[in-house]
Amino acid sequence: MSSTMNDSENKPNIGAMEARSGAILSESRISIRNLDFFYGTNKALKGINAEFPNRQVTGMIGPSGCGKSTLLRVLNRMYDLYPGQRATGEVLMDGENIIAPGIDLNQLRSRIGMVFQKPTPFPMSIYDNIAFGVKLHEQLSKAEMDERVEWSLTRAALWGEVKDRLGASAMGLSGGQQQRLCIARTIAVRPEVILFDEPTSALDPISTLKIEELIDELKRDFTIVIVTHNMQQAARCADQVAFFYLGELVEVGTATQMFTAPAQRRTQEYITGRFG
Amino acid sequence: MSATAADAMMAGPKRNAKVADALSRSRQRTNRIIKALCVTATGIGLVFLFAILATLLWLGFAGLGLSVFTESTKPPGSHGGLLNAIIGSLIQTAIGTAIGTPIGIMVGTYLSEYAVGTKLGDAVRFVSDVLLSAPSILIGLFVYQVLVNPFDGFSGIAGGIALAVIVIPIVVRTTEDMLRLIPVALREAAVALGAPKWKSIVMVCYPAARDGIATGVLLAVARIAGETAPLLFTSLGNLNWSLNLGRPMASLPVTIYQYAGSAFDDWVQLAWVGALLITFGVLALNILARFVLRPRA
Amino acid sequence: MSQSVASPKPFVVASGKSGSAGDAIFAAAAKISGVFVLVLLGAIIVSLFIGGWPSFRAFGLRFLTEADWDPVQNVFGAGVPVYGTLITSVLAIIMAVPLAFGIAFYLTELAPIWFRRPVGTAIELLAAVPSIIYGMWGFFMIVPLMSQYVQPTLIDALGDLPLIGGLFQGPPFGTGIFTAALILAVMILPFIAATMRDVFQTVPPVFKESAYGLGCTTWEVMRSIVIPYTRVSVVGGIMLGLGRALGETMAVTFVIGNTNRLSTSLFGPGNTIASIVALEFPESQSGSLKLSSLLALGFILFVISFIVLAISRTLLRPAGAKS
Repeated sequence: MSSTMNDSENKPNIGAMEARSGAILSESRISIRNLDFFYGTNKALKGINAEFPNRQVTGMIGPSGCGKSTLLRVLNRMYDLYPGQRATGEVLMDGENIIAPGIDLNQLRSRIGMVFQKPTPFPMSIYDNIAFGVKLHEQLSKAEMDERVEWSLTRAALWGEVKDRLGASAMGLSGGQQQRLCIARTIAVRPEVILFDEPTSALDPISTLKIEELIDELKRDFTIVIVTHNMQQAARCADQVAFFYLGELVEVGTATQMFTAPAQRRTQEYITGRFG
Repeated sequence: MSATAADAMMAGPKRNAKVADALSRSRQRTNRIIKALCVTATGIGLVFLFAILATLLWLGFAGLGLSVFTESTKPPGSHGGLLNAIIGSLIQTAIGTAIGTPIGIMVGTYLSEYAVGTKLGDAVRFVSDVLLSAPSILIGLFVYQVLVNPFDGFSGIAGGIALAVIVIPIVVRTTEDMLRLIPVALREAAVALGAPKWKSIVMVCYPAARDGIATGVLLAVARIAGETAPLLFTSLGNLNWSLNLGRPMASLPVTIYQYAGSAFDDWVQLAWVGALLITFGVLALNILARFVLRPRA
Repeated sequence: MSQSVASPKPFVVASGKSGSAGDAIFAAAAKISGVFVLVLLGAIIVSLFIGGWPSFRAFGLRFLTEADWDPVQNVFGAGVPVYGTLITSVLAIIMAVPLAFGIAFYLTELAPIWFRRPVGTAIELLAAVPSIIYGMWGFFMIVPLMSQYVQPTLIDALGDLPLIGGLFQGPPFGTGIFTAALILAVMILPFIAATMRDVFQTVPPVFKESAYGLGCTTWEVMRSIVIPYTRVSVVGGIMLGLGRALGETMAVTFVIGNTNRLSTSLFGPGNTIASIVALEFPESQSGSLKLSSLLALGFILFVISFIVLAISRTLLRPAGAKS
């Protein structure tokens, strides 16, 4: 496992290019079977079946209220915070149904991290923001923690900008930096899957570009699911694209196929901007 | 950079599952313990409320009879009631509300419509907030100093004025908050019709904020109806029947205070009846206020 | 046609004039009301100070620390009531804050949604109960409980300990500083709990979600996210409770035991500024040094509670913050 990683270390973009150009997607990391989701009595997701391939980026697109963000919040059970919201069906990860009762949610969320629409730095120092999540799940020495903080900030392309002020409040960072800090905080826990919920919608174009590059880089190690309103972003980042409409998964395919030759007319119409 | 990344990569993306499990268990345990403590704390809070209400019902109901409402306070052993105290309380509460409400609404209007961002406005808001929680006994002493002592006499009107001072900051707060909630578009619509500012405030903003302001007034009434300390030095209390605003006047809280501390069983019993009446009256006003504020569907 | 266009003109001007006169009057009335509030506060301070002046002049600064309160000798000092006011209020805060926090945490994060409103309302109703009711309830219900069960137990358990033992000694009267603090704690509990609940609710859900997203438990979210976010306002809420406790009169008067002696034991009787004013005022002659001393005490209480409430207010509603 580590040998393949070291190979790709030297030429990070080749794997991505191969995946995007070809139709071959790797084995599935998360499998969804007959998923229904309810807000009270309102059915927000209807009979979803999907696979999220390992160490690739799945982009979820569709008009507002189509269910794409809802699906993201099913994957880490965020909906459990809100009474009246429930999911039925199966979401399988390592053969285990993660929406079944009795799952340890705190551990599940350490395996499936999430980055939100708006940057959410916690009211503490930059260093503590990273260490906070790690301490929940691991017991590290000071040296190990320092190493982990540096590692995650480096992976999030933020280390160079903050290494001299790790003790400063995270609230003082710019919006783009805060969002990269949140990504660093998420990967510091070393999850297997990272969920991005419109991670660049509150950012300027340059910060957006940085985050997109980062996502491309991160998929060497993490399975990534990203919800986006931005068609170009989906085309730039995703290996696989899923189009949602009115709570249904209309079509899923490789990015190339979805943006050049979608099978469904609704997909075609949405992508060419006829609605949404 | 690539060296650090590669180093860390060696560690592999998997964690030590045993450590994570153990940590998870102890974290879950802490969480459960704290949750249990919080449920307990809430339970204790509710027990206090129900213990007080139960005591009042248990001891107050025993003495509740028609004579409580038809007879004035009388010497021990002669079957008196609380009529003069109830009427006195109603009068003084009415005076306090009648004086305090218009002033409070004007001050709230000033803060919300005229003084936004001004130094004077900030000062008024600050002082009003402090008065909101200022010890009520000091308001009693103040009114004693300016109205009772110089004119040589405790009086019902002095009691009413002391209560008005308590009403003002409560009404100020709710009026300002409620006026602030009115959308700018509504004011602009009024101004666009050519209405002068004061008319748009009186004809458009007040009606729009009516429920909220009414809530504030109800809460103020509930607050002053149970106030004892400011009346001790102003209306003093009066064991005889008197509607003269220039003379000492009875009130329910002061009568309860005098009776509860007495050595006579029938007076103590009447004190419990008074306590029952006043508490349920005040709580009913509070619940009514919440009901008024709740937006009608 | 042209006339009909022109004709509204004078009408508009006229209404504009009456409008501007009305505006000027209304604005002036509003401003005068605002200034009146400032005058009111000033008048309270000045009237208490003037009333207390004979006493300040007679005893000087010693008035603050002097522990004697002797109407026979005409010697008055604020030491005992000031001590009683501070110790009962601080004890009440120590007892009320953990409970209030638990209630606020329960109401914002733990309770089922349908249960939050009724429980929240019940806690707020606890704040609406008049203070004289707390006094009666404390005197007739809590005092016997304290003297028969709580105090003897605590005296047996803690009275012989070194250092703190002295706080828990003496006869179990039931009344006294500890009981007064307990009643005060019950009274301020709902204020602090309601403030905490309101400020906890201001934390944007996305911050809590991102902490849950890292795998936090509910308590960890509260401790690491909600409390740091709301720390300033939480302290403001506690100060608000303290401000209420300092000036509370009727509840304390019933249960504190009313003695003008310093007691080392928490179970000993004492007095607070508010309770001594309420009790001794009726026995004071107009113009006497005793009455002046009571007004001087009122002035001191006003200064203390003004400072506490001003701090609380600054923390809860920072200047310039838009609601």
